[in-house]
Amino acid sequence: MEIVVCVKPVPDAETRLRPAPEGTTLDPEAVKFVLSGYDESAVEQALLLKESVPGSKVHVVAFGPAPRTEEVLRAAVALGCDQATWVDAGAERWADPIRAARALAPVLGGLPHDLILCGKQAGDDEGGLVAAALGELLSLPDFGAVVDLRWDPGSSRFRFQRAVETGQESWTAPAPCVVGLQQAWNDPRTAKLPAILKSRKATIARVAAAPRSASSPTVVPERFELPPPRTGAKMIDYRTPEEAAQKLVRILREEAKVFP
Amino acid sequence: MTPTVLVVGELQGGHLASGSLEAIGVARSWSGATVVGVVTGGGSRAAAEEFGRFGVAEAYALDDPRLDSAPAAARVAALKHAAEVSGASVLLAAGTTFGRELVGRMAVAWEAAAATGVTELTMEPGGVRVRRPVFGGRATETLRLEGPRATIALRPHAFALPAEAPVPCSVREIGPAELPPAERTAQRTGVTVAPAGSGPGLTDASIVVSGGRGVRAPENFRLVEELAAALGAAVGASRAVTDAGWRPTSFQVGQTGRAVSPQLYIAVGISGAIQHIVGMISSRVIVAINSDASAPIFRVADYGIVGDLFQIVPALTAEVRRARGL
Amino acid sequence: MPDFSLTAEQESLRDLARKFARTEMAPHAAECDRSGRFPEEIYRKAYDLGLMNLNVPTEFGGSGLGVVDQCLIVEELAYACAGMTTSVIANCLALEPILLGATPEQKDRLLRPFCAQYQLASFCLTEPSGGSDAGGLKTRARRDGDHYVLDGEKCFITNAPHAALYTVFATVDPTLRHRGITAFVVPRSAEGVLPGKDEEKMGHRASSTGTVRFEGVRVPAADRLGGDGEGFALALRTLDQTRTPIGALATGIAQAALDLAAGYSLKRQTFGKAISEHQAIQIKLANMAQAVHAARLLTWHAAWTIDRGGKGTLESSIAKCFASDAALHVADEAIQTFGGYGYMKDYPVEKLLRDAKLTQIYEGANEIQRTVIARELLEHYA
Repeated sequence: MEIVVCVKPVPDAETRLRPAPEGTTLDPEAVKFVLSGYDESAVEQALLLKESVPGSKVHVVAFGPAPRTEEVLRAAVALGCDQATWVDAGAERWADPIRAARALAPVLGGLPHDLILCGKQAGDDEGGLVAAALGELLSLPDFGAVVDLRWDPGSSRFRFQRAVETGQESWTAPAPCVVGLQQAWNDPRTAKLPAILKSRKATIARVAAAPRSASSPTVVPERFELPPPRTGAKMIDYRTPEEAAQKLVRILREEAKVFP
Repeated sequence: MTPTVLVVGELQGGHLASGSLEAIGVARSWSGATVVGVVTGGGSRAAAEEFGRFGVAEAYALDDPRLDSAPAAARVAALKHAAEVSGASVLLAAGTTFGRELVGRMAVAWEAAAATGVTELTMEPGGVRVRRPVFGGRATETLRLEGPRATIALRPHAFALPAEAPVPCSVREIGPAELPPAERTAQRTGVTVAPAGSGPGLTDASIVVSGGRGVRAPENFRLVEELAAALGAAVGASRAVTDAGWRPTSFQVGQTGRAVSPQLYIAVGISGAIQHIVGMISSRVIVAINSDASAPIFRVADYGIVGDLFQIVPALTAEVRRARGL
Repeated sequence: MPDFSLTAEQESLRDLARKFARTEMAPHAAECDRSGRFPEEIYRKAYDLGLMNLNVPTEFGGSGLGVVDQCLIVEELAYACAGMTTSVIANCLALEPILLGATPEQKDRLLRPFCAQYQLASFCLTEPSGGSDAGGLKTRARRDGDHYVLDGEKCFITNAPHAALYTVFATVDPTLRHRGITAFVVPRSAEGVLPGKDEEKMGHRASSTGTVRFEGVRVPAADRLGGDGEGFALALRTLDQTRTPIGALATGIAQAALDLAAGYSLKRQTFGKAISEHQAIQIKLANMAQAVHAARLLTWHAAWTIDRGGKGTLESSIAKCFASDAALHVADEAIQTFGGYGYMKDYPVEKLLRDAKLTQIYEGANEIQRTVIARELLEHYA
């Protein structure tokens, strides 16, 4: 089976977030870029499928600028991916998911692929659109929020669960298809030290990303802001518990606008 | 020129799901916009009339039960047709698994700028401006979707349900859908509905109610769970509770447990140790209920109630049920 | 001038160690400290990830890292638990004499099978009658045909109760003192090897320490490292290599203490404000930060010197001595910052003081380090 995994370099979860000086995006200064939890699960799933179907290969692909994208691809190689391709975004430092999908699709289209795996959403912008957009660009069905993905050799189909708001759906799908994987339902492996050292010497194929088409609709980042620091709770006065309850529900509804 | 917004209806139990209703509310709140609905799948013809209940006068329906077992890709042609015929410039959907798949595919098929998880949006000349949380709710970005078309998925539970404003709804049927033979395409083979009261998963939930050592004994934790059930919320716990074995570690919110960033986090009987705080600090709204007025949790909460949780929480549960009509 | 930034490879190694330390070691540190349990399952995981046998070349199944890279890893592990780190790196100490003193045939025969699976090894120099006075050791090695017969007792040996392999320093002629000392590699399975029980220690309680008695143990001459009487020099060269990572271990303890104290000072309120706003605490934290920073840089400089081929005796002695003294002082001040809470075993900070203390004693007591520093230093003025 030829499995392609799409990953994205995102800031490490412990990064102190700061807007860049012009205020439109995150300041990448001193940010450590890593594979998100969703992407780690996607790579893990690809490796598990590879191990279950002898003769399979995993090719990891990422769209982004230097040097973060190459680093993240090496991390995926250290986990066990056989090949890596970097779709070089050049001077583009920020891209929305549709732009990313449009950059990835022609590269993916040129690779053998029985399965295209993505994390359900990017660890930073949490857009969750790449799998669907890739599906439309490559004329393949896509499935988001997948758990428990298996290959059934008897029927030559994938079997998986798709998490929906009301529960779960069971699905089967023929190869090839695009899957957006839910996070951490599998237990992503940790790369071992010898593999980490070996990944430094791995060859990463580089392809320049097709430039944005002038006629394509664009998404422009305008502001990146942190929430104002919390200043302490507004305490609710009450005489009876019922009064406290009524006041709180009213506040949640009308002031905080967060009541279901 | 008045813009037209196409609201994608998702069906749940034969009716428009609450996320779709929220989307209707958002569309209708744009002054000057014409709102049109579209719903696909089995039972769409009947469900489409529900658009009328909420003030939408026109809707498209593709009533084809085969779509329910087919991938979202099968609905794209119909949505695109509805968008073109209605002259829509914005497609709006709930940010559900289904909604996001459609928004992503339509962004390509319909050549539109896209965004998901949106909590605020305004129509501007030349596009739509949206705000959305990023980094697990630790920051917010404002984006401009430029161009003649935009596809947008809303953040779940971020908007109020619209008031009923019945108008006659003219429903136009479209279809049938063109589907490849079943054996050549993906098929849904089963549906498992999560048992009532089991609630959403902790990390994805929009509302979380967590209990701490203040509940005093494991059998009292049900007070927390009842409040969560009334709110449709996930249940969390502080480390004190999971260390004591009152609930499994999968419930633990905190530095060594899970990080959550729901719209609403209610901390019941939790003092607010730093290792718990870091797990929930990016929640949009935090409410704390604690008998100790000097508990550190009140420093990070937005609203606080100092009192006996054994009185406050049952009263709150009752009031929530009443307010939600449960 | 050296570039102080880490390469991407070094960051990956450090991140691996940090992830292992925070997710596998840290959650069990307090429990192992309380009970004295030897967490074999954690050491196995360290081995699986390639975090053991760091100094052994890859051709023999080790990780083949230089001293700088080892220090990056050791500091991260020690941040989570010094005791577990001591046991993890004890293999490096035990195997280093083989790396430095063995023939190619010996290296292949002794290292390859050892590193091929999870096993522990112990470096056996210290005896009840002398640790710092290693030249006066009493364990005898009597030649008998193509064997030596070992008799004696070693004590305070890390991993001894669990080791599969012992690197043993014994004397062929006590009258020659250090010039009689000879090094041997002895498997646990050899008859007469008698490891003792786990000692009850003040700190590093997740590590296992004990005696090993050798009673008429027959060791093939082929398992002798170098020639008769060359063992003492081999031991000193070994310690020149392994001393610096102890500086990193101590730095890890000190960093953990600083982080705890600083974090606590921002939350704890007295006299109407966070204690971090009281000058007494600010001065403490400033001194602690200086000590941690200096310990790390001295350690890195020593490691860099050795990686470039230098002997590094002066630099590594300074690093080990300074960093271990710093760890003790910083841990002490961290407890003081916590006040009464710092004294409670419920809080993680008092463990750090108990762990820091050992770093001043083992791998060359700091008194000896100072005499070494003085000797190296004075040579420049001679």
